[in-house]
Amino acid sequence: MSNISAYLLMPLLAVVAIPFMKEKAKAIVTYLELLLVAGLSSAIAISAIVGGAEEYVFGGSAVTGPIRLQIDALSAWFILIINIVFITGGFYGIFYLKAYREQQKQISLHCIAFIVLHLSLVSLCVIQNSLVFLITWELMALSAFIAVIFEGDKMSTLKAGINYLIQSHVSILFLMLGFIWVAVKTGSFDFASITEYSQSNPTSVGLFLFICFFIGFAFKAGFIPFHTWLPHAHPAAPTHISGIMSGVLIKIGIYGIMRMLVLIKTDYTSIGYFILIISAISGLYGVMLAIIQHNVKKLLAYHSIENIGIIGMGIGIGCIGLGNGNQLVAWLGFSGALLHTLNHALFKSLLFYTVGIVYQATHTLNIEHLGGLIKKMPHTTLLFLIAAVAICGIPPLNGFVSEFLIYSSLYQWVQNATLVPLIVIIFSTLALVLIGGLALFCFTKAFGTIFLGEPRKKFVHGIHEAPAIQRIPLYFIALLIVGIGIFPQGFFGVVSHATSVLTGNRVGEFAPIQGSIADTLQYIGLASTGFIVLIVLMFLLRKLVTKNRVTTSSVTWGCGYVSPTPKLQYTASSYVRSYSKLFGHLLLIGQKEKPVSGIFPEHAALKTHPYDRLEKSLIDRPIRGIKSFLGKFVFLNNGKLQFSILYGIIFIISLIMIPLVYGLILDFFEFIKQL
Amino acid sequence: MLSLFLIVIAAFFFTGIVVRTKSLASGRKGPGIMQPIKDVIRLFKKGAVYSKTSSIIFQIAPTIYFSSVVMAMLVVPFGQSKGLISFNCDFIFFAYVLALGKFFSIISALDTGSSFEGMGASREALYSMFAEPALFILMGSFALLTGYTSFQEIFAALHIGSYLSYALATLATFVLVMIAMIENSRMPIDDPKTHLELTMIHEVMILDNSGFDLGLLLSAGYLKFAIYGALIVNLFVGMVDYQYAIPLFFIIQFLMAVVVGLIESFMARFRMNHNAQFIVALTSVSLLIFFGAILILGKFN
Amino acid sequence: MIDVLLIVFIITLFYLSIANRLLSYTKVLAVQGVLLFFVVFLQLNEINTLNLVLIMLETIVFKAVAVPMFLAYLLRRNNITREAEPYLPNFVSLLITTAIVIATILLSNSIKDTHLDKMFFVVALSTIFSGLYIIASRRKIITHVMGYMIIENGVFVLSLAVGNEMPHLVNLGIMLDIFASVLILGIFLNKIGDVFKDVDVEQLTNLKDY
Repeated sequence: MSNISAYLLMPLLAVVAIPFMKEKAKAIVTYLELLLVAGLSSAIAISAIVGGAEEYVFGGSAVTGPIRLQIDALSAWFILIINIVFITGGFYGIFYLKAYREQQKQISLHCIAFIVLHLSLVSLCVIQNSLVFLITWELMALSAFIAVIFEGDKMSTLKAGINYLIQSHVSILFLMLGFIWVAVKTGSFDFASITEYSQSNPTSVGLFLFICFFIGFAFKAGFIPFHTWLPHAHPAAPTHISGIMSGVLIKIGIYGIMRMLVLIKTDYTSIGYFILIISAISGLYGVMLAIIQHNVKKLLAYHSIENIGIIGMGIGIGCIGLGNGNQLVAWLGFSGALLHTLNHALFKSLLFYTVGIVYQATHTLNIEHLGGLIKKMPHTTLLFLIAAVAICGIPPLNGFVSEFLIYSSLYQWVQNATLVPLIVIIFSTLALVLIGGLALFCFTKAFGTIFLGEPRKKFVHGIHEAPAIQRIPLYFIALLIVGIGIFPQGFFGVVSHATSVLTGNRVGEFAPIQGSIADTLQYIGLASTGFIVLIVLMFLLRKLVTKNRVTTSSVTWGCGYVSPTPKLQYTASSYVRSYSKLFGHLLLIGQKEKPVSGIFPEHAALKTHPYDRLEKSLIDRPIRGIKSFLGKFVFLNNGKLQFSILYGIIFIISLIMIPLVYGLILDFFEFIKQL
Repeated sequence: MLSLFLIVIAAFFFTGIVVRTKSLASGRKGPGIMQPIKDVIRLFKKGAVYSKTSSIIFQIAPTIYFSSVVMAMLVVPFGQSKGLISFNCDFIFFAYVLALGKFFSIISALDTGSSFEGMGASREALYSMFAEPALFILMGSFALLTGYTSFQEIFAALHIGSYLSYALATLATFVLVMIAMIENSRMPIDDPKTHLELTMIHEVMILDNSGFDLGLLLSAGYLKFAIYGALIVNLFVGMVDYQYAIPLFFIIQFLMAVVVGLIESFMARFRMNHNAQFIVALTSVSLLIFFGAILILGKFN
Repeated sequence: MIDVLLIVFIITLFYLSIANRLLSYTKVLAVQGVLLFFVVFLQLNEINTLNLVLIMLETIVFKAVAVPMFLAYLLRRNNITREAEPYLPNFVSLLITTAIVIATILLSNSIKDTHLDKMFFVVALSTIFSGLYIIASRRKIITHVMGYMIIENGVFVLSLAVGNEMPHLVNLGIMLDIFASVLILGIFLNKIGDVFKDVDVEQLTNLKDY
């Protein structure tokens, strides 16, 4: 009990004290507070994983009823992920914000928002009372908004932030719908009443309730078609916030979906199919749009949508396993989804941080203007390479382990399935394989264009590597990435506690299933270690053999072309041209062209810009329609004082007249009835 | 262990037989069968030229590519004996380890800053991306048929009885041969002899490599061919004893090399636009194989 | 064995969707005729011999030899260019054909009639829909005729499925074949190519009322 009070008191103190401090002190105080809260919550989380679920009850008020806080293995897993990302992100952010040192007021606001964001995220994982949950959710949305619009003087940033805020509130609307419905029917705000309600009513009610919650959480997580805020918010936010958003903020949506899966007892098979289909479409759509982006952060944002799709596929398959009673499939699916949550948080945040370093050095996010950065920034290149290989799901790094678990669940499910599930399985496998291939396509493009080759544009300022101290958290994340790849069974052991919450097993029951999966993962770990050893051996062999050979250096072979320039290089758009020609109808690429004319052409230009077809049809068109409809009533709002008073008089008169007129009409009908 | 030795031995001869078949089919005598190996040894003895534009990625990529192919080789079983690495769903490991090699060869092509290599890299990425689903769906059909999920257990339990399973085995051989052609960049997807930059796919990616690195890349290519040949052999020798299986292995590899040589001699390469649809057609054929597996199991009707 | 032949039949459908030259279409029609000949041989052994011999002759002579030769002669005579000009790229045609096959599999799964042989039903329905798609997505008039021949192959497969129990249905199928040949003869004799001087479907829009 006292820990909880201390836990709430510290951030409060920090929040109050920050505006009064000097700039360096601000950063230190924020980070210290972050560390303390993270340490406390992680300690509680680890004890929840090792020991068992813990519960605290607050008195609460008459409105909310008793407020229960429960930490089980599922919450603990998410709390640990949140803390890892926030600690590394906070450290990175301190150095990232050094460039904005003059804007003291904005930095205070940003630090306060950061602290509140962290607090609300950790609290959301443990709160079991609907009203308090909604309040904390709102706090999180608002603090995230403030954190995103750090560069609020730019119009595009502000628009992106407001887009995010509005969609956040639509999600809260759906959540409120679900929570209030349950509260009205059962009279209690506690989460346990959701379970009772879904158990005592027919399954279709539970299904509908789940879909309500799912849509609310899907807005946050970024499933299609609720994803439209993601690609705008991520580029607009400062880099450490983008990393935290992609790593943690969208995972809260996943946490919400998983918590609802535990609470609502209904037909798991249909829910599973529903989630599986939406996730497969999200995954494919996300990566297909990611390939054609010019802005690196937007590319990474669309990739987050893809990875949420992969996590969702794992959840869907797990649900179907639960519905069919196939424990192995359920275990594989849920473990894959949970492990991928951690993996994605790690490598996506690493990608964003390295991109942030590139942005700090070159001040541009446009891929087409970068190139050849490996010579000036070798450490950053290495970190980006590790993260890129990991995100494609390639051994020996961690992305392969979670994707492997999801593939295994599909291939286990195939064994006993009938015709229609078989077709769903084969298309899910197709989707997963295509997602992997497209991700490889996308990241070879990103890595190759940004870091390799020749610089495509001359910069006025010099390009320097980031200071070593800023790179420390990045190395830590890279170490974790390699560690999970080499030693997956250890992490699987931790994840299985969380999975057991989802599948409803007790400790004794799940040992054989867990054992068989752990064995397979051990083989993978050994194979990955062997692979790395093999690469090192081959490299040493090569060094040995070529020690005395002559090595010369020359220009790249250009087929005899006499004046090579960096402009002859393949650009990112040319690299993806073979792809964009095939899928051109699906994607929406706007093109502005000034064609080549005459024998000695003067100046020609071609500009392409990628748009989002779903966003255009779901958001832009309806908004235009609404605007044009409401525009017809603009005459009512003409600002003259006399009209406002006129509207007031009309309102008072109608207040008095309408009941009278209503009574008259009722009397009239009575009169006609008597005739 | 057995499969490792067999594949390495087959790799020595495979490409030589292909080249020899092509020469004989066009009326020439052609180079000896060991010529590709002699080329590789010659390259191992040479020094190297590196481009000023390229970086350390260009120097380590061939090593990583070669190691990934060796790692994939360790997963392939032979009949009743497992590969060195064998676990449930290990074909996923097989496919993704090869993907690591592809990743590094693509970025090393982009590292040179030349438009030729970028073009080759773009095409290679697209075609290998389309070829992967065919392999996964094929293995899914076999997993469905036999009830196992690891390479060795699937092939050991695969037995061909009825007409339908013969047809499926033939279709599966066709799909595997085509995937092998795509992965090794041979006709009708890519012409290894063209050397016109606009028409190359794989050859253009390795244009700037020289010396020991080029030797590594070529030997990795030979090994890959033998690996896919071994997979095709596995389709047929699952239940056969070793004394018949080992000669059968070499016979089938030899036959496959001759068939590849004949295909290369008598077919023109597809137009570049038509390559993509041909590769996607392979996925449709593997979907048909999956449907055939459903038929065999009687889940349809 | 019949299953194998029917699977090869579906593969010919995939090949049709990515074929570029009109002669490939005629060759595929010939191959389909030979496949149907073997299917007839294996499936229909209970109707009386005279009918059986007639049907077998019809598949070989008509579908595998006469019609492809006729079409090739038409192509040469009217100087129709070699390419089939589709409205959609071949890549998309392949995806649509695959989707058609999968959709028919799902559809036939939900039919609970025991008299119906599911495999024949799937092949027949996919062939009919593929034929319709080919008619709708190609620009030349001659491909309309080829699409019609493919549809007609599909109907023939369906009639084979119930051929043992209802030989009259098979006779109806043969009459459909004769109708198709009359259609082709119409083009041949009336030299539609000459009259229109253009084998483009777009020109047919001149026949509108307004």
